[in-house]
Amino acid sequence: MKRFKEDGFLIREFFKTQQKILKGIFWEKRLFWAKFLIGFSFVVLWLRFFYLQVVKYPYYFKKAKERSVVNYVIKAPRGEIVTSDGVVVATNRAVFQLYLDPELIKNKEDEVLYKLSKILGEDFGSLKERYYLAKKTFLGRVLIKRNLNWDEVAKIMVRRYYLPGVKIEVESERFYPYGEAYFHLLGYISKITLEEYKILKEKGYSMEDYIGRMGIERAFEERLKGKNGVIEIERDAYGRLGKEINRILPVPGEDLVITVNHNLQMKAYELLKDKKGAIVALSPKDGSILAMVSSPSIDPQKFIDGFTQEEWERVNSSPEKPFLNRALQAYPPGSTYKIITAIAALKSGIVSSINNTVFCPGYFRMGSRIFRCWEAKGHGSVNFIKAIAYSCDVYFYTLASKLDVDYLAEVSKEWGLGKTTGLGWSEEKEGLIPNRAWKEKTFKEPWYQGETVVMGIGQGYLLVTPLQMARVYMAIANGGYLYKPYVVKRIRTLDGKIIEIDPQIEKKLTLDQQHWNWIKEGLLEVVKIGTGRAAFIPGLNVAGKTGTAQVVSLAFKKIKALEHHAWFVSYAGYSDPEIVSAILVEHGGHGGSAAAPLARELYKSFFGIKEPEKIISETKEETLSDENQ
Amino acid sequence: MKTSDIKEIFKENFWGFFTVFILAIFGILNQWIVAETSSIFWKNLFWHLAGLIGLIFLAIFMDYRKIPFHLVWYFYWFLIFILFILLFFKKRWLNIGFISFQPSEFIKPTLILLISLIASKEPNPYLKLKTLAKLFLITFFPLILILPTDLDYAFIMFIMFASFLIFIGIPRRLTLSLIFLGLIIGLLLFPIFWKNLKPHQKGRIYGYLYPEKYAQTWGYQLNQSLIAIGSGGLWGHGFKRGWSTRLHYLPAKYTDLAFAVWAETWGFIGVSLFLVLYGYLLYFFIKISNTAKDWLGKYLSLGVALVLFWQALFNISGCAGLFPMTSIPLPFLSYGGSITISVYFLLSLVFNIALKRYFFK
Repeated sequence: MKRFKEDGFLIREFFKTQQKILKGIFWEKRLFWAKFLIGFSFVVLWLRFFYLQVVKYPYYFKKAKERSVVNYVIKAPRGEIVTSDGVVVATNRAVFQLYLDPELIKNKEDEVLYKLSKILGEDFGSLKERYYLAKKTFLGRVLIKRNLNWDEVAKIMVRRYYLPGVKIEVESERFYPYGEAYFHLLGYISKITLEEYKILKEKGYSMEDYIGRMGIERAFEERLKGKNGVIEIERDAYGRLGKEINRILPVPGEDLVITVNHNLQMKAYELLKDKKGAIVALSPKDGSILAMVSSPSIDPQKFIDGFTQEEWERVNSSPEKPFLNRALQAYPPGSTYKIITAIAALKSGIVSSINNTVFCPGYFRMGSRIFRCWEAKGHGSVNFIKAIAYSCDVYFYTLASKLDVDYLAEVSKEWGLGKTTGLGWSEEKEGLIPNRAWKEKTFKEPWYQGETVVMGIGQGYLLVTPLQMARVYMAIANGGYLYKPYVVKRIRTLDGKIIEIDPQIEKKLTLDQQHWNWIKEGLLEVVKIGTGRAAFIPGLNVAGKTGTAQVVSLAFKKIKALEHHAWFVSYAGYSDPEIVSAILVEHGGHGGSAAAPLARELYKSFFGIKEPEKIISETKEETLSDENQ
Repeated sequence: MKTSDIKEIFKENFWGFFTVFILAIFGILNQWIVAETSSIFWKNLFWHLAGLIGLIFLAIFMDYRKIPFHLVWYFYWFLIFILFILLFFKKRWLNIGFISFQPSEFIKPTLILLISLIASKEPNPYLKLKTLAKLFLITFFPLILILPTDLDYAFIMFIMFASFLIFIGIPRRLTLSLIFLGLIIGLLLFPIFWKNLKPHQKGRIYGYLYPEKYAQTWGYQLNQSLIAIGSGGLWGHGFKRGWSTRLHYLPAKYTDLAFAVWAETWGFIGVSLFLVLYGYLLYFFIKISNTAKDWLGKYLSLGVALVLFWQALFNISGCAGLFPMTSIPLPFLSYGGSITISVYFLLSLVFNIALKRYFFK
């Protein structure tokens, strides 16, 4: 028994020991798996953090910055524009803007707004409405009123302890001291649209930015714009603004010096006031623009101060289209084009001598058709000089009838018509010089010689801009140098450097010396004895050509709106011509009576000539009988 | 005892202590970043200092072999206490004066001790079915009790103790069949379970699945956490310079998202350092489990290692978007009296075992 017991005890002891050993071995194994589980999980975590913090770092950093930093744009002041005689015509002025910080006036908005409405003398209800409307669109501070006057500023500053959250900030704003007179030349600026913003975002534009819309403001946008600055301010999860973390100062735009003569520009606008039309004055020496005016006009300041609803409707839907820069719009040239016909005839040898005469009975017959001269009585026998002076239609019908239309078109294009002048403004029109190919393409009809005859006196399909016409006469005045017109002559960059812009010659036109002389003599005679006598100034050599462009047929002549366009393109100077001008008065009537007197006033202003009033009235009466065709 | 022995003991346990010390400093630093010098910072500092002192005191003077015998009574009182809370307060937090008290945190050390005690009596490598049934009852009864108030905590505790029991030794066949059965029951019960989830609990799942889509609602926490972590980059924003923390974009930055604060401030380098230290601590515990002189010590130290491991894993991977976000605090970094006391108590148990290796009678 005892042995068994002892055996049993031994066996149990043996099993116990075996189990103990096994348990120890198993435990070590299990601990290995525990280590494996922990190690594996930690490596996965570590890799996840590597992915988040190293691989995706730029993505999350951008998100964090977008969320926690607010950017305030500090607008860069636009560059100034100064005329050649030193008058600043586009600048910036400091204005006081009234801001409210919604965070600081929480729960007492009504109280603060009520006090403000008392100070500003505004209706409390409308102010409140404006505030809540603006609060939705602005981030952070809300613009309550712009352009405060000194009185309002003083009143608010005195009470600023009773007006929490009210801030007055000085900002720079575009200012056009001469308003309407420079509208089409300088252009205007207005708020950037959403579509433009999407495209221009990369160039550093902000949603609040203004962008040049016309004229110099648009053409030189990149120079004038400058570079916006930015203030980066922290914003917490509740929308409260914290400390400033970064500030980049704005870089102002570059200043431009333009070739325009301020007095001449103002005079030109004064002359066109209450009329529709355009005046362009160029310097024949280099093609620089001395004045460019279009009427009716708009005050560009309104685009910054804001139009009232009524004003905006009047401007936007007016049949007079004040937005158009008429100096760059295309019109039928009328008789001013005859000079091109004359040049083409001279070049092709149709007029070989100055004494070649044509008899003008008052009409020109071609086959069965009759073309009338504006002078129903006829001019009698006219030579080249006289034909220009009196603008004899029959003479030019005769020349044109001997010319080929393609050749005439070629000469026109050579003299810069039918294409843009190289000014580089997108609002500039090309005009239209018809030829056989054009007619075939447009009307699917052949060209008739009768149309060449009509084209010879500047009627028909022809369309030219006042600037193109001024350029033709500029080339005559300076002996064939066809300059590209330009308006900005100097750019003052930020580092103080000055970039001079040199005049550019498109081409040098050639004619026989005697042909130049004949044309110049003809143009002088126009003002001395011919149709442009209204532009005569004693002691000054004024030479030019009138034009009366037919808009509709003669039957409707009496209706004012459908009167002819009056042209006068001329140049003037004592010995050498110093100024060329093209004047167009839309529906003004005759060139000699509606446009030429304006040229006379313009030149008097340019050359500083003072004349007694009497002589003017005399000349006016003389010009009443005028061309008409 | 010879001085060379003391040197030996010091050498073997120094790095474990040191790691705890460094992690405690991390915790204090992290609350400094978040709370500046508000009362939360001072309270946190107090808990950590008290915890460290308690840790040293308990590690040296306590004897882990003598605790569990009194524990059964404590455990039953505790269950009654929890029932009381559930019935009368229906809250997961209990406010006693200035301390808010989270009973769930104290279930963990209790259960570890009980499980280790019962399992250590078992001489076999695998637990007998009878013992296993007892352990299941002891473990899952309190978990079911806290389920209604603290769903995610109950779930994670289930994983903690299930894994603990598996390591202690559930027969392999039984383990596999239980997991299989669990999966099938889980799948069958899922629709009913899903229907009864509270909106905020469902929202956490939505937020986890589509953090960017629900960025303003359910995914807000996760989205902000990811931005905070990702924007930290390699080197981090630097001390007190993180945007998410400073500008109040991170919700629950004291507790659940404390690790996002850490990651934003110190970047990938800081995250790696924390993971290495924490991992080393767990490795140290497993080493103790291997070398402890009795089974109670072995089980206890593995239990502590597993609890701390799951707790950190669920918190950190919740912040990083790997798991759905839970309201589990992260040991050391998160603020909280209950968690800090509980963690330091667990640590002192392990260090006590570590020291007792040399004074074993």
